[in-house]
Amino acid sequence: MWSFALKRAGTTAVTLVAASVMIFAFIHVVPGDPIYVLLGDTATPDQIDALRHQLGLDQPIILQYLTWAGHVLEGDLGRSIFFQAPVTSVIADGAETSILLATMTMIWVALIGVPVGVIAAVRHGTWLDQGLSGAAMLMASIPTFWVGLYLILIFAARLGWFPSSGYPSIFEGGVINLRYLVLPSLALAAPNAALILRLTRASMLDVSREDYVRTARAKGIRPWQVVRRHILRNALLAVVSAFGFTFAALLSEAVVTETVFALPGIGRLVVQSILRRDYPVIQGVILVIVVAYLLINLLVDLSYRVLDPRVELQ
Amino acid sequence: MRRALNVLARGAVGMTAALLLMAQASAATLLREATVGEPPPLDVMLTTADVASVIGRHIFETLYALDSTYTPRPLLAESAREDDGGRTIVIKLREGVLFHNGKEMTAKDVVASMTRWGNYGARGKLLMATASSVEATGTYEVTLKLSAPNGAWKALVADVNGGLAIYPEEIASKAGNRPIEQKDYIGTGPYKFVEWRPNRYVEVERFDGYKPVKDKADGFACARVAMFDKIRFIPVPDVGTRVSGVQAGDYDYAEMISGDLYESLSKDASVQVQRTNAPIFGLFFMNSKQGILKDNYKLRRAIQTALDKSQALRVAFGPKDLWNAEGSIFPKGTPWYSSEGVASYSPHDPKKAAELAKEAGYTGAPIRLLVSTNYQAHYDEASVFTRQLADAGINVQMMVVDWATLLKMRGQPEQWDIFVTHHSFSADPLLLTFLNASYPGWWDSAEISSLRTELISSTEPAARKATWDKIQALIYDQVPVMKVGDAYTYDIASPKLKGLNPNGPAFWNVSAK
Amino acid sequence: MSRDAAILWLKPFIARPIALAGLGILLTTVLAALLAPWLSPYDPNAIDPVIRLTPPNAIHWFGTDQFGRDTLSRVIHSARMALLIGSGVVLFALATGVPVGILSALFPRLGHVLMRMIDVLMAFPTLLLALGLIVILGPSLTNAILAIGLGYMTTTTRIVYGLTLRLRAETYVEASRSMGAGTIWLIGRHILPNLISPLLVQASFVFAFAQLGAASLDFLGLGAPPEIPSWGNMLAESRTFVTRAPWLLFFPGMMIVATAFSLNLVGDALRDRLDPRFRQVFGEKG
Repeated sequence: MWSFALKRAGTTAVTLVAASVMIFAFIHVVPGDPIYVLLGDTATPDQIDALRHQLGLDQPIILQYLTWAGHVLEGDLGRSIFFQAPVTSVIADGAETSILLATMTMIWVALIGVPVGVIAAVRHGTWLDQGLSGAAMLMASIPTFWVGLYLILIFAARLGWFPSSGYPSIFEGGVINLRYLVLPSLALAAPNAALILRLTRASMLDVSREDYVRTARAKGIRPWQVVRRHILRNALLAVVSAFGFTFAALLSEAVVTETVFALPGIGRLVVQSILRRDYPVIQGVILVIVVAYLLINLLVDLSYRVLDPRVELQ
Repeated sequence: MRRALNVLARGAVGMTAALLLMAQASAATLLREATVGEPPPLDVMLTTADVASVIGRHIFETLYALDSTYTPRPLLAESAREDDGGRTIVIKLREGVLFHNGKEMTAKDVVASMTRWGNYGARGKLLMATASSVEATGTYEVTLKLSAPNGAWKALVADVNGGLAIYPEEIASKAGNRPIEQKDYIGTGPYKFVEWRPNRYVEVERFDGYKPVKDKADGFACARVAMFDKIRFIPVPDVGTRVSGVQAGDYDYAEMISGDLYESLSKDASVQVQRTNAPIFGLFFMNSKQGILKDNYKLRRAIQTALDKSQALRVAFGPKDLWNAEGSIFPKGTPWYSSEGVASYSPHDPKKAAELAKEAGYTGAPIRLLVSTNYQAHYDEASVFTRQLADAGINVQMMVVDWATLLKMRGQPEQWDIFVTHHSFSADPLLLTFLNASYPGWWDSAEISSLRTELISSTEPAARKATWDKIQALIYDQVPVMKVGDAYTYDIASPKLKGLNPNGPAFWNVSAK
Repeated sequence: MSRDAAILWLKPFIARPIALAGLGILLTTVLAALLAPWLSPYDPNAIDPVIRLTPPNAIHWFGTDQFGRDTLSRVIHSARMALLIGSGVVLFALATGVPVGILSALFPRLGHVLMRMIDVLMAFPTLLLALGLIVILGPSLTNAILAIGLGYMTTTTRIVYGLTLRLRAETYVEASRSMGAGTIWLIGRHILPNLISPLLVQASFVFAFAQLGAASLDFLGLGAPPEIPSWGNMLAESRTFVTRAPWLLFFPGMMIVATAFSLNLVGDALRDRLDPRFRQVFGEKG
């Protein structure tokens, strides 16, 4: 177990270095320049060159990379050109929103996706199953921003049940501020709940074909008991990993939803930083996202091992 | 199940407690403004981004400020005297003005700010290029010496946008051309900077040491009184979300709403509509340095002849209340209004355009039009014009890029033939970007450079107006830019707010009913 | 294709009316795309500001947009962009994923390196990768395809890799190997034919998700160039009209949903007739 963890940590590190080089190369081939955005419309070429020099952007890229990597190893991700604040604190601020949003979304997903998936599997082949699976597929086919626009219109502007947009931190206004995340998390939950629903259903069906389930049935154990004790437990194994990856994806890929709901999350931070060429932020955020992804990957593999001792780790 | 209920009950108690806390906290009055996006650093001297100016003008102040007729009136200055035929300007400062750090503003601070502005300020060169010296000639007196008189100097120091905001001496003198740090956001304004939470908000709070000018408030000029304890500028990039946000009561004010919602919002009881009194105008810059349009005035005139500007305005801005197909660069009612050349503003004559193009030796080569979708209006105007030009046989190819790329590309003359931007209202022709020969487009023909010198050095209003008439005629002859037309943007606010500023979003003197 | 095979393919659809409906919607979309110039009542790009923002009526069935363009004509023409993006992304994902996946499975050393690279790529958030690429390359149809395709290339590679590993282990492949069959022959005779149906399933899901991905890019202003009609662009341009002109959001939005939904239905039906050996490799995510 430990040797496995170590080995994985090693490959994770290699992946990370490769990723960081890619990020850097990637960013610096993007046309455009933060200086222009920073100084605005009327900056003169002299002014631009001088500021570029001050920010160290006129150095060779390799040198810039090494300087950056050196600082990263010391835990310093640099300073944002635009926010004039350390990248770490900029990311931390965005992470609060993203983590809470992703968590709330996953709660909806778990509350809707898993039970409905179980019902569909138990009633496999009936009209109920067909209807639920069909509905799930429909949900997975709706663009989230489209739903988001309608949610704001109906539940915020018309009915006034929830705030329309923005998210003031819970550290300032208390947990009540979570109400700001209800509509966006619902918009995000729709397609993801659909995926989890389908996955739950499929893996329930797979497990129910296994021999030990047949044996249990043959022994005359009541059907719901079989479902609960034998099928559900094993079927959820596959679902757990999907949960991990969905969560990881939600942290960074909720860009469009964050834009529609004006949420200060990680996704919008990256897109905005790309558009403004705020290099230190782009590098920092992508690095953090990649680390988070790799960590979750690792956790998922380890949790397999814990949940199911039969799984051999390679 | 019971456990679940228990959790729920506890959650409810927690929420109630939080609600009570909220109620207490809201005793301090807070104004929430939805801005179009995240601002660049608030070093307003350096940047011309409107988002930064809106926030910055609450924190920083200028020597003069524009009233509702866009006339400069003293703000940090008390009075000024011109000697030596306008070559020496002696500015007397108001006494007892405090910076947010508690220090009193003196001539030294103004001199340091003016020096930095002259070196690095976005619009600093307009005045300071001809400055031979700037000195503190008393604790509250600054003397500026110019090599030639500048008839527009007051207008040039009357706005924070790329303008001469007064910073404390130690900050201005050490800053150089690098944007000042957040801790150095220290001005003399009615609000002081508190914090900037990325993508969340910029917060300012009332500055208790502020002493308003005696005269009654008018536009951005004169008395400024902070009625709200705090203001939060919250970036809300999606315009639909800004509207729903004000309707739902999540924001008190939202900027830059799309024209097509104007009619329905005007009737909506949950918002009040605030139209700006000064128009902005779209501009299509022609490349005077390189490419097919360089020196080819006839082809440029052919292009303008093909256009129907009101079509583009209708598409980009919606109802007729919000736009005006006006050929004069300055709108009616301003001292600079002129009808010189406006017959060529929007002829919409594809046949004549085709003839002109032929005479100009145009054979259908593609003309590259650089435009960004970050501003929907730019893109709308470009689409309409491209279509109209196609009808006249002029082949325009749109190059659609993001704003950051456009800013860089337009500095490279080999990359484009026309680019699209817009211009905010100016109080003086010298502030117009296209009169600046180093601004992309690089209009620097012999005719304009002599007229420009004439405009700068004359101080007599009537003479300057006569020069401006000649310049506008030249603009329609050489077509360095095409003006799309005047557009009045509008903002929306909660019906509770009163005292909204007609010049644009500024929240001193604004209170809740 | 023989008659029996055709029946075999159609069987899952006949058993499920909803899947059949999906197939129907899909065919309609393809027809709309092919016959767009004849089907659409107006020029989709004709600007007429006088009649801008007219609600649906007898002349303009789906109303007009802020330029006064006919929404129905634009919706029909957009089907082309949907199919182009979808098939472009599928082709790209297959053209890169299949060779990389097969070679990685057949040559473990190479496979180790290649799959590691795929891991690195997978660690990058797909949408951000796409956004970055678009900003570098500039918005255009090809670049949108490339940007979205890159995200699905990784999943396709993994699936092909997994399938090929299984096939390789199958006894008959082992047998032909021991008889000295060449690699190319092996791939052509045993591996590719077996990959066809699972890849078809993968293709239909990728096609569906490409629709949503393209719509997101369009919405952020980084997708197909705005002068080309596409459902995503139509939504992006008219999102401020959600109250003023709701039809502008409704029709293109519904088209995206209908297309993605029917592709998902078809993919699902195809998967059910898939060899159970392969089903597992898919996870279920597709």
